[in-house]
Amino acid sequence: MYTGLPDADLASRIAAGDREAEAEMCRRMGPRIRLYGLRHLRSSSAADDLVQQVLLKILEALRNARLREADKLAHFVLGTCRMTVLDLRRSSQRHEELLAIYGADLAPAIFPAPTLADRQLARCVQALNERERSVVVMTFYDDRTGAETALALGTSEANIRVIRHRAIQQLRVCMGAAS
Amino acid sequence: MTAASGGIECPSPIESAVLMDYWLAMLSSSAEEAVEQHLMMCDECGDRLRESIALAEGLRSLARSGSLQVVITEQFLGHVSQTGLRVREYAPPRGGSVQCTVAADDDLLVARLAVDLTSASRVDLSWCDLGGMELQRMADIPIRADSGGVICQQSITWAKASPTSIMIARLVAVDDEGDERVLGEYTFNHTRTIPGPPG
Repeated sequence: MYTGLPDADLASRIAAGDREAEAEMCRRMGPRIRLYGLRHLRSSSAADDLVQQVLLKILEALRNARLREADKLAHFVLGTCRMTVLDLRRSSQRHEELLAIYGADLAPAIFPAPTLADRQLARCVQALNERERSVVVMTFYDDRTGAETALALGTSEANIRVIRHRAIQQLRVCMGAAS
Repeated sequence: MTAASGGIECPSPIESAVLMDYWLAMLSSSAEEAVEQHLMMCDECGDRLRESIALAEGLRSLARSGSLQVVITEQFLGHVSQTGLRVREYAPPRGGSVQCTVAADDDLLVARLAVDLTSASRVDLSWCDLGGMELQRMADIPIRADSGGVICQQSITWAKASPTSIMIARLVAVDDEGDERVLGEYTFNHTRTIPGPPG
């Protein structure tokens, strides 16, 4: 019922105690918050935690009519995402310290064997030219920066960006043709 | 833009290349800010970002599987070793040979080909059989003139399934006219040690 309702109206209705508007706000913002979490926390479970924490804060703020400009709901959610990620990083610092002490005793990560779709992707990657394949592997292995890859290959960061963009475009086309 | 609901087409969709750069954290802070504001109001671009993430995750998994044949760098190899993967390296001398194999628990297989690259602008890596017949050519591989050699990751999947055989790697300089000059030749005497039929 509230699917087409603008953000500003949703915020106003939530302030008035409308539970259905709250549900729509969660349905609408939850996936967006999760994407933000995936990008900044690099973990599905951490992104799920972020969704819960941010939605709780937003709901509390909206119920108490603390959002002054109702049409700025998306900006408010984004700002709350940023603050919450900062909090999560601070609290995970202790966890990182423990990992630094005991991490060597932990088993190395086990990566899953390629599936059929992965084999298609492998064929597409193998079809790239040598420079493109090197850049793709070194970039995506562990999210290496363009500067690191450029330094390693003895070329410019701008050149690496061009090669990467061209390779990704070819992979999209190749995967589209394969599927 | 779908600020309120699905079904409305985004009037200013973010380019796929920009979305991938966003995922890779390769945008400037101002560009990243603009993308995040857009994504917080646009489910259509959010869906496209999910597609980019799926591709990136597939590529990451593939890069870590060791199944690709690809030229890599010393820095990258050092980083891979630090991530806990088991790397098997062979470094035959230029003009020489090496006995080699691959074990079931190896994650990455790497050939180190030492050579002076300072006089070459384009280099091909040619893989030949014992008779010198070229089986595969990796054309115009990425090189650094000051690196003193080439590091080639061989597909671990292929190597584990390979029968006992001899492979010769040739580094070939190619000039602007297409004339070729062999920079180095390296022989790999591969012995299969993993039981089972060859792939």
